[in-house]
Amino acid sequence: MEHILLTILIWFGLYMIVCLSLNIEYGYAGIPNFGRAFAVLVGAFAVGGVANRVLMFIFGISNGIIEGSASVKSAMNEIMARDPAVAILFLLGTLCIAAILGAVLGAIFILPSARLSEHYLAIALLAISEVSYMVCYYNPDIMGGYYGVSTPDPLLFFQGEQRLLAFSVLTISIAMLLYGIVSKMLNSPFGRLLKAMRENDAVVEACGKDVMLLRVKACAVGSSIAAISGALYVFYTTNVIASSFNRAEWTFYPFLIIILGGLGSTNGVIAASLLFVVARVLLSTYKWELKSALHLPFEAVWLEYIIFGVLMLLVLLFKPEGLLKEKPTMTKPIREMVKRTGKGARKQA
Amino acid sequence: MFVVEGALVYSNLLALLSIGLTITYITTGVPNFAQGSFALFGSYTALTLLHTLKIHPYASVPLAFAVGGLAGVAVYALALKPLVKREASIVTLMIATLAVDLILLGIFGAYSDFLEGLTGKSAKKFIFTSYDFSIFGFKTILLFSTFAILLLLASLSALFYRTKFGIALRASMENPELAEVMGVNVARTRTFSWFLSGALASTAGCFLPFRQEIVPLTGSLIIVSIFAASIVGGITSIYGSVLGSYIVGFSESLLTFIISLAFGQILVYSRVISLIMMLIALVLAPKGLAGVVKKKWSIYS
Repeated sequence: MEHILLTILIWFGLYMIVCLSLNIEYGYAGIPNFGRAFAVLVGAFAVGGVANRVLMFIFGISNGIIEGSASVKSAMNEIMARDPAVAILFLLGTLCIAAILGAVLGAIFILPSARLSEHYLAIALLAISEVSYMVCYYNPDIMGGYYGVSTPDPLLFFQGEQRLLAFSVLTISIAMLLYGIVSKMLNSPFGRLLKAMRENDAVVEACGKDVMLLRVKACAVGSSIAAISGALYVFYTTNVIASSFNRAEWTFYPFLIIILGGLGSTNGVIAASLLFVVARVLLSTYKWELKSALHLPFEAVWLEYIIFGVLMLLVLLFKPEGLLKEKPTMTKPIREMVKRTGKGARKQA
Repeated sequence: MFVVEGALVYSNLLALLSIGLTITYITTGVPNFAQGSFALFGSYTALTLLHTLKIHPYASVPLAFAVGGLAGVAVYALALKPLVKREASIVTLMIATLAVDLILLGIFGAYSDFLEGLTGKSAKKFIFTSYDFSIFGFKTILLFSTFAILLLLASLSALFYRTKFGIALRASMENPELAEVMGVNVARTRTFSWFLSGALASTAGCFLPFRQEIVPLTGSLIIVSIFAASIVGGITSIYGSVLGSYIVGFSESLLTFIISLAFGQILVYSRVISLIMMLIALVLAPKGLAGVVKKKWSIYS
């Protein structure tokens, strides 16, 4: 029971981070980023591909990335077991690498949008993300490919259930921290500018704002946050294999969550993440029971895809505004205006 | 020679798939991300008939055509039509096709488990190459897929330019509002286009196992190449997408083959080539080859 609860908490944290990032890009800025999985993969690469190589260089290990990572893991784990400060430094350092790499690659990733209209952009981003996923999976030299690479475990002081507890505390606190930063940012003039761009980018352009620069900023911030989630996921499993970063789990499910929660509504995103994660973890925990209870002639994992796909269609059809509808940003002048004009105006706003 | 043969087969199948994508894009305005998964209707129809009734995959093409067509109509009627009616944005419709793709992945996965239980043979990974035979030194798959493309192009141009329904179809592709005013039943032409799209994809799917291994995820994997073919050809032109398919299909197969002769093991990068071609097409000529050709001709007219 505790195990299920902790798994829910960890996944809640991971999905909350990814969905916050997608909400900045699609919910606020209106960029149809069908390649969210790319940024999460970048986060994983930051740990498995970059951090491991840096450590290989420091320890003077000159094997390939797969054998090298195994040696790095044992050497690093030994050092971290002796000195917790190194573990904390390693954890924060790799998360920083992930965030920086995510921001840089995210900014490059969105560049096609300079020339493309909305739906061509969506196709291009999906294609870029799919192809980088395939290359990372089939080429073992980047981050282990289909063999995968192992990574040092900064939480090695905790065992079994305790490790899950420690990890869920870590993920939730990082998610909460990011939530604070993101909601502060989205309530600022920058957030309202993004919303304006979503509604009508020509007007924003006419007001003298560079739309392309805004898109690059939104995507850099979003990808950097999503990459943190990818890196955290790698620390959760302590190995990196590209196949975990597929389109269904890291692009489609985040879209499902933010649309279910209400586009542009940060609190809606959190509520929907929790709902989704509870449903998904329960589905995967009780898959054998479900299979025998319903006499399914197939694995329950396929049922998960069907259920969440159908859920997406139902939400789009019957509740396109989501569970918690987006509210106007209550800045001081708007609040005063609402107070002056009374209740009727509030309804309109 | 063997490589060219493979490239030609692949391009033929890509053309079947990208024509379907283009048709639904023209009539409904949705880039359909589930197009790759539509192909699996054909693959699994052929596999089921092969393992249960011992029918050769080539003989199951007509049934695959019908099954795929009905699936296309079902997807349109259940998932997209209500959204189009509510005037949802294109991105919303695209998200809906992503959802359809995931549902189809679930359905094919579940069905392959079911089929494995029924026949005791692998259905999660299968290939038909051992069932193929040769005529005049050519693989039959080459002849059949080329024949399918030629037949398709001939019947499409007959349909579009020789029948009243074809004229209505073209009218509703050019300008749906105006066609509606002129008494064309646009809803019916749209439904027909989804039937055609699903049927063509499913036919391609029936041939596909003769060239590559099929897994439930195949649909999601080939979607990049389909979009590349369609966009290189200019996503609003049917004949353009045929041309685009041969360009993308040949460069994917031949370029990767040539590069792999020089550098060894890089066959996995074939999709990178189609991605690069797609991005170049999008940036330099967003209307694709069809747009370039049209521009050239409009100077003279």
